[in-house]
Amino acid sequence: MSHCKVPALIQAQVEMGSVNDLEHKSLFRKEEDATQTKAASLMEKGSLSPSFHAHTTKSPKNSVLRSIRIVILSNKLNLLLPFGPLAILVHYMIDSKGWVFLLSLIGITPLAERLGYATEQLAFYTGPTVGGLLNATFGNVTELIISIFALKSGMIRVVQLTLLGSILSNMLLVLGCAFFCGGLVFYQKDQVFDKGIAVVNSGLLLMAVMGILFPAVLHYTHSEVHAGSSEMALSRFSSCIMLIAYAAYLFFQLKSQSNSYSPLEEETNQNEETCGEDEDPEISKWEAIIWLSILTAWVSLLSGYLVDAIEGASVSWNIPIAFISVILLPIVGNAAEHAGAIMFAMKDKLDLSLGVAIGSSIQISMFVVPFCVVIGWMMGEQMDLNFQLFETAMLFITVIVVAFFLQEGTSNYFKGLMLILCYLIVAASFFVHEDPHEDAI
Amino acid sequence: MGCCKVPALIQAQVQMGLVNDNEHKGLFRRDSDSPQAKATSLMMEQGGSFSANFRDRSPNNTVLQSFKIVILSNKLNLLLPFGPLAILLHYLTDNKGWVFLLSLVGITPLAERLGYATEQLACYTGPTVGGLLNATFGNVTELIISIFALKNGMIRVVQLTLLGSILSNMLLVLGCAFFCGGLVFSRKEQVFDKGNAVVNSGLLLMAVMGLLFPAVLHYTHSEVHAGSSELSLSRFSSCIMLVAYAAYLFFQLKSQPSSYTPLTEEMNQNEETSDDDEDPEISKWEAIIWLSILTAWVSLLSGYLVDAIEGASVSWKIPISFISVILLPIVGNAAEHAGAIMFAMKDKLDLSLGVAIGSSIQISMFAVPFCVVIGWMMGAQMDLNFQLFETATLFITVIVVAFFIQEGTSNYFKGLMLILCYLIVAASFFVHEDPHQDDA
Repeated sequence: MSHCKVPALIQAQVEMGSVNDLEHKSLFRKEEDATQTKAASLMEKGSLSPSFHAHTTKSPKNSVLRSIRIVILSNKLNLLLPFGPLAILVHYMIDSKGWVFLLSLIGITPLAERLGYATEQLAFYTGPTVGGLLNATFGNVTELIISIFALKSGMIRVVQLTLLGSILSNMLLVLGCAFFCGGLVFYQKDQVFDKGIAVVNSGLLLMAVMGILFPAVLHYTHSEVHAGSSEMALSRFSSCIMLIAYAAYLFFQLKSQSNSYSPLEEETNQNEETCGEDEDPEISKWEAIIWLSILTAWVSLLSGYLVDAIEGASVSWNIPIAFISVILLPIVGNAAEHAGAIMFAMKDKLDLSLGVAIGSSIQISMFVVPFCVVIGWMMGEQMDLNFQLFETAMLFITVIVVAFFLQEGTSNYFKGLMLILCYLIVAASFFVHEDPHEDAI
Repeated sequence: MGCCKVPALIQAQVQMGLVNDNEHKGLFRRDSDSPQAKATSLMMEQGGSFSANFRDRSPNNTVLQSFKIVILSNKLNLLLPFGPLAILLHYLTDNKGWVFLLSLVGITPLAERLGYATEQLACYTGPTVGGLLNATFGNVTELIISIFALKNGMIRVVQLTLLGSILSNMLLVLGCAFFCGGLVFSRKEQVFDKGNAVVNSGLLLMAVMGLLFPAVLHYTHSEVHAGSSELSLSRFSSCIMLVAYAAYLFFQLKSQPSSYTPLTEEMNQNEETSDDDEDPEISKWEAIIWLSILTAWVSLLSGYLVDAIEGASVSWKIPISFISVILLPIVGNAAEHAGAIMFAMKDKLDLSLGVAIGSSIQISMFAVPFCVVIGWMMGAQMDLNFQLFETATLFITVIVVAFFIQEGTSNYFKGLMLILCYLIVAASFFVHEDPHQDDA
């Protein structure tokens, strides 16, 4: 979920020179061959009959065990993997929803990170264009899955709040931490990033906010033609428009990217195992696809229990559901992006951090949110873009603040600290916030 | 209504080199001598014959020649007969929908010809007064429609029409210009003067501020005298905004002559040009006379148009706000729209921006306060409280557009985004009606 997140990142990577091969591997592999036999056997049981031998010569030939080692055992974060099954056990044994929620939350974190890893590996084989598209769609698949489960349960408010929280967390927390840590490492100078791209992305975020704003404003000025159904119709129309806009955004990015590549380099790259300059994919194409499916299935399973346990957790911990949805869930869902962005900033590759953070925000606000509305439309759920007045105002103000911070093109630890403190204010607001009426949950 | 819209445009034109004479003529003359006998006889009866006071430097046009140049030279004028047709229908049938549609269609060519006549006149008055002329008469169509609506007490229609004109200029016209220009020049990004764009954004924001405060005052229920406070605040703010607009014009015109070489200016004034290669096509008096005729026609049609709005809204089942905010301004801006797109496709984005954003500033800082003052004199209760939804829409739109143009570059993607934003705005107004019915 780091350097191939949006096509601009690939471009940035090429422009900034090759990412050191060892550096990149160290971003995702923190130790070699840690012995975790229990986890190994657990995952091995779930593995499919290996048809891993049908390789082309360019991809690594991995046996099942090696594949598991690479994917599962290579990341310290995967120590948290057993928490997933543990959560499911607890769900059936105890009645304490709080524990189920906590454990499934922890259990999803490594899965989300591995999902990003698998997506990146797959992107090596598909070339930069489809790879970028893949990342653009699957980058936030965790949030997407959680939201679809919540939609199915009719918890529309949870969906809205989770997605909103993801946008806010990406814009403030992830970006703030990246600026802060990068600024601490390079405190002698101001780090710079591409101002043009940042401004365009801010404009896009504003447009997304506009799409979300109008149904809410329409509702709260009590000025709709048919009360209730007007916002729904407007939301659905706006969602289609926003999906078209997102498709145009991807198209435009890929178009302007292929103009910057020298076509010769692109061809030679596609015949090697690289998508960046020095990249070697670690697992074969089919392995990547299979792991993608396995991880997605696991995430879906755990999300089911997670969503189930939200209300119970809110009751037993005495925390408003708004806080859980807006603050806790997205922190977990974004954990890997968070780490990636910080690492990029500390290597003075701020464009990549920005791409991760703001690109993820755009993805959620212009793709996931309208997509959920459309999915809800098909499911017959009353999901609309009316995020209620408080949340909408919060989103609007945050986007404006962040847009102003970004438009200068430089960063330092102070800006990062400001963004983090803004996030703390936002979190505190949601800690003491509940919906004025209880029926929308 | 293209190149002479605001004085900055003239400056930009000079700075960017000479506008090709043929190009410019091509922008406003698409045909020559298309035979339109019926329209001819109709206009000739109205035109009469004037003893022409031609000077040596202006073209010697007979009435028929003048008529040909002004009326018959533009394909758009095919729509001219719709005007009289609308008036006929008004007296024949009771169907307000048709009257509305036909008068709308009939006003479009008149609005365009008005702009043409203004430009021609500007060629004689020199850049300063010419710029002033354009700045005032640029949106005279909207102004006339608004004054008629004010007279009928349709204050809400006035507010919505002007708001829709601002939104349409900022989003639709600009978006189409960026989009079409970007498609033509898909290899590179088009650039425009960032400084100018940022200043204009600031002005728009100031205008929005003037509009915002009466609305916010009203909706926080915090005015001293309920009802009359917003009105007084609106009137005071309108005077301030008119002063601001005058200062803006003064500043623009002042900063412009310093870019001309004085020698060129003197030579120019003795030739038939206001820019470097411009030849006016009609004489000064012709221009003034045509200006009066067209203004009278527009006023006449606007009367019937405004009359038919409510009936059309009922018979077509569309909210009045949609008609006022979306339909009316699209027609009123049709010529500016075409001009802006053409400029963008010739890589003269500064002119497109001048047309679009300049028009928005003109409406928000001149037409709106002017209507408030006119309403004050008429005794109509027109204020700057555009109601919460509209004010919020305007505020958000101005911020979004300001962000899009502050970078100084454009491509088809940005244009597409602006157009999609406009679609969202239009959709919002389609399902929007005023919470109370009393001031429609």
